[in-house]
Amino acid sequence: MSLSLKMKMKMKMSTGMQKWLVLFRKEWLEIVRSYRILWLPIAFAVLGASQPITSFFMPDILASAGNLPEGTVISIPAPTPPEALAGALSQFGAIGLLLVALSSMGAVSGERTSGTSAMILVKPVPFASFITAKWAALVLLASLSLAAGYGAAWYYTETLFGSVSWRDALPAVLLFALWMSFVGTLTLLFSALLRSAAAAAAAALATAAALSLSASSLPFEQSWNPGRLSALAAGRLVASAASPAGGQTAGDVWLTVAVTAIAMLAALFASARAVRRRPADA
Amino acid sequence: MDNLTQSQWISLLVPLLVLQLALMITALVVLVKAERTRGPKWLWAIIIVIVNLLGPIAFFLFGRRAD
Repeated sequence: MSLSLKMKMKMKMSTGMQKWLVLFRKEWLEIVRSYRILWLPIAFAVLGASQPITSFFMPDILASAGNLPEGTVISIPAPTPPEALAGALSQFGAIGLLLVALSSMGAVSGERTSGTSAMILVKPVPFASFITAKWAALVLLASLSLAAGYGAAWYYTETLFGSVSWRDALPAVLLFALWMSFVGTLTLLFSALLRSAAAAAAAALATAAALSLSASSLPFEQSWNPGRLSALAAGRLVASAASPAGGQTAGDVWLTVAVTAIAMLAALFASARAVRRRPADA
Repeated sequence: MDNLTQSQWISLLVPLLVLQLALMITALVVLVKAERTRGPKWLWAIIIVIVNLLGPIAFFLFGRRAD
């Protein structure tokens, strides 16, 4: 409660930007208090580090599995350094996205039930600020976590397999960060639309999976599809991992990026509308 | 595998173990300090210790009651 009192005092004489910063600070404080600032980066770091380690020891693991017929020769070509790093990205694309969605699934719906949103929104706060402050905190947390995970994956890849040029590694992680922010934004949107936090996480992940599946399996060109982003990211590292649609021109990639950014803006707009229509659960 | 000495091995695996241990210990401290949890405390303690990485995360996500 002391937090809300502090906010009230600060908001008496403040401009829009200052209000937004107060809201952002409140979101960040909640991220710290719920220990998300701790477990999400650690989870990503462990995921990112274990992927290169596992692929490094894969031949030994298979050799000691022991249920192979006598005389079987296993020859798995050792992954190239970029392939090992791309493997970490695919880990982030599965378990990482799940954790991001779970960590922010109650962003709006939880505050509606607890009454926090009602307490904030009786003050002269624009609905858009309320949503964008949440969004910025969420994206910042996800980006920090991805940086921790990618850093760990890169370090272990360098040590075990060899170096990867930052010219490949940096664009790959930026594309992936955009995809992750997109999924985070979807979680925020569904959290504003649906009552149940679990349903919000499930809906966001299902949408992401559907986009990603259609990008990788449907035969026609889908430059507009944000679901292409994770494949594009991997394609920056390993040429063969690019989508089956063939060669990617730079313009193609920028189109996907632009469409994703617009979709994120639209999702934020829709979330703000949903909060305006139903600021709190009675 | 053969071209790694034992100390190299350790320097690879220790950071990972330290991270997971830090997460586990924080989860246990939060669990002990919490007044109420969703579900019995002893069960969460087992989950946090046994289930690697995902146990502490599950506790932070689902075990804590916001008050």
